[in-house]
Amino acid sequence: MSRLPSRILILLALVLPAPLAQATGALAVVVNARCGVAVMTRNEVINIFFGRYRQFFNGREALPVDLVDDHPVRGQFYRRLVGKDLAEVNAYWSRQIFSGRLQALPKVSTPDEAIKWIAAQPCGIGFIEQAKADARFNIVYELAP
Amino acid sequence: MLPGRSRLWAAFALVALALPALAETTKDFTIRGFGTLGAVRTNSDDVEFVRDISQPRGATDHWNARTDSVLGVQANWRLTPAIEAVVQGISRYRYDRTFKPEIAWAYLKIDPNPALSLRLGRLGTEFFMLADSRLVGYSYLTVRPPGDYFWYLPFYSVNGADAALTVPVGDSVLRGKVYYGIADGKIPLADKQWKIDGSPLMGAYLEYQTGSWLLRGSYANIRFNSSLPIADDVAALVPGIVSPAQARAGLDYLETDGTRSHYYSLGLVYDSGPWQFQLMLNAVDQGSKAFENSWAGYVLAGYRIGSVTPYIGYSHVDSTRRTATVHPLVARVRADSRAEQGTAILGARWDVMPSLALKAQWDAIRGDSSSIFPYRREQADWDGRLDAFSLSMDFVF
Repeated sequence: MSRLPSRILILLALVLPAPLAQATGALAVVVNARCGVAVMTRNEVINIFFGRYRQFFNGREALPVDLVDDHPVRGQFYRRLVGKDLAEVNAYWSRQIFSGRLQALPKVSTPDEAIKWIAAQPCGIGFIEQAKADARFNIVYELAP
Repeated sequence: MLPGRSRLWAAFALVALALPALAETTKDFTIRGFGTLGAVRTNSDDVEFVRDISQPRGATDHWNARTDSVLGVQANWRLTPAIEAVVQGISRYRYDRTFKPEIAWAYLKIDPNPALSLRLGRLGTEFFMLADSRLVGYSYLTVRPPGDYFWYLPFYSVNGADAALTVPVGDSVLRGKVYYGIADGKIPLADKQWKIDGSPLMGAYLEYQTGSWLLRGSYANIRFNSSLPIADDVAALVPGIVSPAQARAGLDYLETDGTRSHYYSLGLVYDSGPWQFQLMLNAVDQGSKAFENSWAGYVLAGYRIGSVTPYIGYSHVDSTRRTATVHPLVARVRADSRAEQGTAILGARWDVMPSLALKAQWDAIRGDSSSIFPYRREQADWDGRLDAFSLSMDFVF
């Protein structure tokens, strides 16, 4: 039991708000250009990133990729898309996962890894800084700061 | 009592601190978990407050960690992109007064295409919206799902199968699910247990999700396949009050074996930005004359301010009295299934970090003194008024 206080201190250190990295300008939802999807509505983007529906309008299966919690772009993306904090997004996913309805989205550590992931999947979809979207991707939805 | 309780707390605290290190992910195999360390007390020792009627003992005017504390661990194994095996074990205070771990889920999930999902094996029950994630405290706003709505639902696991179909409607989504299974579980009644193992149940729901709104209608039924464990009580009554023939007639009248109970529900959820809103209604039509039919509902609203979400809600349950009876046995058994009360709920959830939340909640229950179904060990002094105070720490890893 004597070790507990130090654990509590560690816990408290985690609890204190970490300085949030500033938003880095516009974020873009991009789809691998080979998939043939040019534009999406906000609800369609929400459907895919919340696992509600996994097909694009052209019938092809979307393969979304997410970022890990501690990358600031993840928080910015969900705040701009649905106005929710990551805790609320994680609460939603814990309900889906522990009731066996959905599997968690695959996660990568950085937007650069997300870019590689999307480029490697025929219908990969993810969110990156808009400035980094090149010809391999279609920008299907923009999220201004 | 105290040493046992502090042991329990210490065990949970250690597990809560140690388990995140265990959470492990490889490409195809994942181990995750969830848990709640909760404490609840009321202002009365006239009744014991339980989470639902699957619990044999509950909280009184001392802090009690059994009612809400739970730990679950889940392994997902993706065999192919379309086939997944899932096993979930949980430990919680259950019908036999232990925290003996049990397998809550163990199934194979097959998604032949993105629209269709089939599951076969041991599954959670989804009689009402959110019922299949009742134990995952981290996933909802309140300390526990509103009692007046969920007390009636002691069914957690079935062995069976379900099929879900998802269809897009513009950029909205329509989803339907059907399921069938054999119930597995026991319901504690006084010092005995009523077996619902082997009772077949089935159900279906249809839900429509558009933007921030989710609307669901559902129906389920269960056909009980055993009698209530009341024969001994009847034997005790017989000598003085009723003749053996009358007792026999009473038991026949109250038979549950072979009767079917029907559950109807309607749920509306709005979830947008800082707002969360839920409206749920249900009606239960009991096949056996041993139970009273009932309806229940709740409204809940929360608004997030920074990392704290205060919430306020109200739930109500009312059972319908059956026609009067002069049979003392029938009257007594029926009285046990009576519920007529409302609960005002006030609380706050603090999301300390992305996978840990602390909650505090006050439940102000105001009901009739005959409302005893939701409780354990009611005393003669019970007047239908109860305040419950809850604290919890919910986490996922």
